[in-house]
Amino acid sequence: MAEENYKDYLAARVLTENRPITYRLLSRALKVNVNIAKHRMLDDFYTKQNAKKPKSVHCTYLVTGKKLSAEETNGGRRQDVDDSTMQSSPLMSSMPEPEESAEEEEDEEEEPVPTTTMVLVKEEELQEAKAEFKEVTSVHIYSLEPGPLEDLDMLSTCNAEIATEYSNEDPMERWRVYGSIHNPYIKRRTAKYAPAQTVAPKPVAAATAKPTAKPTSAVQAKEKETIASSRRGSGSEGNTSSRPTSQPRASSSTMKRTDSKPNLRKDKSDIFKSFAKAKPKPKEAEKSKESTPAATEDEQMEGMSEDEGDANDTPTVKFDQEKAAASRKDRAERQERLRKMMDDDDEEMLDAPTEQKDSQDASSDKAALSQSTEGDPPAVTSQGGRRRGRRRVTKKKMEKDKDGYLVTREEAVWESFSEEEPEPRKPKPAPKPVSTAKGKKAAKQGQGSIANFFKKA
Amino acid sequence: MDSPASMDSPSGTPFDEPAYLPSRLPSAYSPLHTYELPKGADRHYQQQFADMYFTRLTKLRDALVQRASEAWDGFELGGERAHMVERVLDVRQGELCWVVGTVYMELGRKPNVLDDLSNEHWIAAPPPRETYVSQAGLDQMMLEDESGRLRVTGETLHSHYVTGCVLAALGTEKADGTFHVIATQYADLPRQPQRWEREDSALAKAKQAKPKREKAGKLAIVSGLEITGTPTNNVSFDLLLEYLNGEATGPPDQSKASNISRLVIAGDSLARSSPILSREDFLAQKEGTENDGFDPSEYRAMAAQRLDAFLAELLPTMPITLLPGSSDPANVALPQQPLHPTLFTQSRQYANPPAESNESSEGLDSVTNPWEGDIEGWRVLGTGGQTVEDLLKYVDSVKPIEVMEMMMRWRCVAPTAPDTLWCYPFQDDDPMVVRECPHIYFAGNQKRFAKRVITGPADQQVLLVSVPKFSVTKAVVLVDLETMDVELVRVGLWRRRRRGTVKVAVPR
Repeated sequence: MAEENYKDYLAARVLTENRPITYRLLSRALKVNVNIAKHRMLDDFYTKQNAKKPKSVHCTYLVTGKKLSAEETNGGRRQDVDDSTMQSSPLMSSMPEPEESAEEEEDEEEEPVPTTTMVLVKEEELQEAKAEFKEVTSVHIYSLEPGPLEDLDMLSTCNAEIATEYSNEDPMERWRVYGSIHNPYIKRRTAKYAPAQTVAPKPVAAATAKPTAKPTSAVQAKEKETIASSRRGSGSEGNTSSRPTSQPRASSSTMKRTDSKPNLRKDKSDIFKSFAKAKPKPKEAEKSKESTPAATEDEQMEGMSEDEGDANDTPTVKFDQEKAAASRKDRAERQERLRKMMDDDDEEMLDAPTEQKDSQDASSDKAALSQSTEGDPPAVTSQGGRRRGRRRVTKKKMEKDKDGYLVTREEAVWESFSEEEPEPRKPKPAPKPVSTAKGKKAAKQGQGSIANFFKKA
Repeated sequence: MDSPASMDSPSGTPFDEPAYLPSRLPSAYSPLHTYELPKGADRHYQQQFADMYFTRLTKLRDALVQRASEAWDGFELGGERAHMVERVLDVRQGELCWVVGTVYMELGRKPNVLDDLSNEHWIAAPPPRETYVSQAGLDQMMLEDESGRLRVTGETLHSHYVTGCVLAALGTEKADGTFHVIATQYADLPRQPQRWEREDSALAKAKQAKPKREKAGKLAIVSGLEITGTPTNNVSFDLLLEYLNGEATGPPDQSKASNISRLVIAGDSLARSSPILSREDFLAQKEGTENDGFDPSEYRAMAAQRLDAFLAELLPTMPITLLPGSSDPANVALPQQPLHPTLFTQSRQYANPPAESNESSEGLDSVTNPWEGDIEGWRVLGTGGQTVEDLLKYVDSVKPIEVMEMMMRWRCVAPTAPDTLWCYPFQDDDPMVVRECPHIYFAGNQKRFAKRVITGPADQQVLLVSVPKFSVTKAVVLVDLETMDVELVRVGLWRRRRRGTVKVAVPR
């Protein structure tokens, strides 16, 4: 029972072990209300022990109340409300504090506010301290210790003890047991990852983390695709909507020819692209297959560190490091290839204007070709992680009009794309005339330039 | 648990069941996310700061023009009527006119990266930057807008204005091209929302009746806990905790503590945990004068753990809003973003998971600095205090509370950012401009406590509170959210007075 317990406990703690104890630690140790601990147990023990043997136990009081203000202490301004009590360490109190007093003097014009002061006082100084108070609202024993304490700050070790030894109790029940203020509105999440202080649930956490990681990575990969496609769609939409509204009218009224051209051009480049990409594709698919899980795993880790980074991911992190490194390398490679691919695309774009000048039969040729691709869904197709499709972009086009002036106009053009990243590419700037060097390079690179070959010839 | 009633005290009187303290009052709380920066890749640092000054000026110009024309329309001096000039460069010599512009202070001791570079080669230490004002008369004040800059003279201006504040100035251009100012006007307090305005309009939209609101409790504001990584014993810190959770003191005080419905920690919860050293710390480190074993490159988890333990102890009994400060492990540029939940392994269980929501009204809400939100219907604006501290370096013999007042009247929480305060390069908007007048404006980490109530032209009332550093003053500020009364709670150790007063004569 707590009743005998508390005497034994206090005797053991204070008299035998010679360690201080605060009301708070006592309440934790015996699981009693703090008010019982301080008003009954510590009080009782203190009076009983000292009755048996004077000075066997020393106590520290906590005095709360309103202090006398400067005028009321008739000690003048130096005896300001707060000057002497607030040093945190004894070292400081021995130092002169000229600045502080200077500040206080400056402060005096500010209107005083009601101040509640709580101070810890050694038993032998209690009366003296109380004399400084205008109104004492409560005095209770804060702690018992075997003898006078040199440094009252030592008492915080008791609270440290609470933190280390009684931390695994349910914090939501504390108010019931110890009588601290109850907050009925608080919510506490159940610890998915228990804090390090309690027993480290490493194996369990690892076990739960693993299975969740796998399915989510698959799901994420899927999600990525859907998100990407939807994003692509919105991207193209954004493009069309950002187009100036007057534009379609202008193009339809004046330039019938250019109106139809872009589509042709577009389809053609699509085909060329499909040629160009035929080779890298399977490889790419393979790549992406093996690289996506790694990437998603990466993401998983990121997610953890963002929200829930915890003790338990240490093992997984270690495990993943090799993989992550591998995937990083992978990704770098992939990026490199992607970059090259983009370059290819660029060249195709650059090719476009030359194609425009094509003879009629060439364009019919293209039309035939384009029909074969018409079967493809116009939106997005994704194959093995690569995405291809068409989108509408605004292009700047410079032409000479009948008066010989250069006219720059913007028009919407369908463009095909094929890429790893769902990020919509920015509209290309006005196509520059193809330099010979470019052409040569393109020729070297193969399929994409076959048309060029024909054209140039 | 043993029933307390079954226990008998040795003297025969039973330990009666202690009356539970009254429950914590609810805290009506809805934070605003004014100062949240875009996340991840959307956060860019390539923009020029000029945009900020531009938006600041455009946002405040209308208000200033209105204020100034009210004040100066029909103002005559020597038979000449004052008129408004659109741009600062349009000011003509000899004309009496007024113009709206942003102040730029050229101060002799303002930090300058070129000086810093040349200082590297100096042997003597550069002077500490207590103030930017130089004694050598190098200081100049200018008024600028998008057209250019106008050098300003006039006695009234020095020591009252700082870089970044927008004002209207009345005066004439003198022969040497400087603008001699006779009078100035600031924008003054913006519109103040009604109490419960946001909640009520949300309810009205949802076509719900207004709930019956209970009497509001108190708001506790503390700042500068400055928890260190070294295990020092500090019983004041424990007393603060025990006071707030209602364990210490007797029932009357404990019941009062239950009226505190929320704790706001206004910055600097951790000591010296900023990822970037302050100028002073950096110099000290370079010279090797810092000998307390402090090495900023080495992160110490201990301090964060202690703060976490403190929060976790307190959170079951009261909700907490946590602002970062200059010494906290957050980004250094204003607006500082919320302290990351991973710092708080235990206490983040009282916060909503970041994936679900970026605010938690019942538990731990880690917010930005500056921060704005509604507490008990009142608009509350608070900072970690860097803004005030930096502004004080521009002016002589001005109190922090006065600085806070001026900030409100200038409608700018951080006028000196981005000049001498690090700041995110906002482009389309300057959130540092105060759009709606708060009811309570607090700044943390000040040297001393101070409060003041200021009133605006449209009867706005703002309570300004300068919250002292707890690590120095051991004080907590309580604001009654019904009456706006301010109280202080001080904790500490009692010590005999040692100064040359009556008390010291007491024999020891």
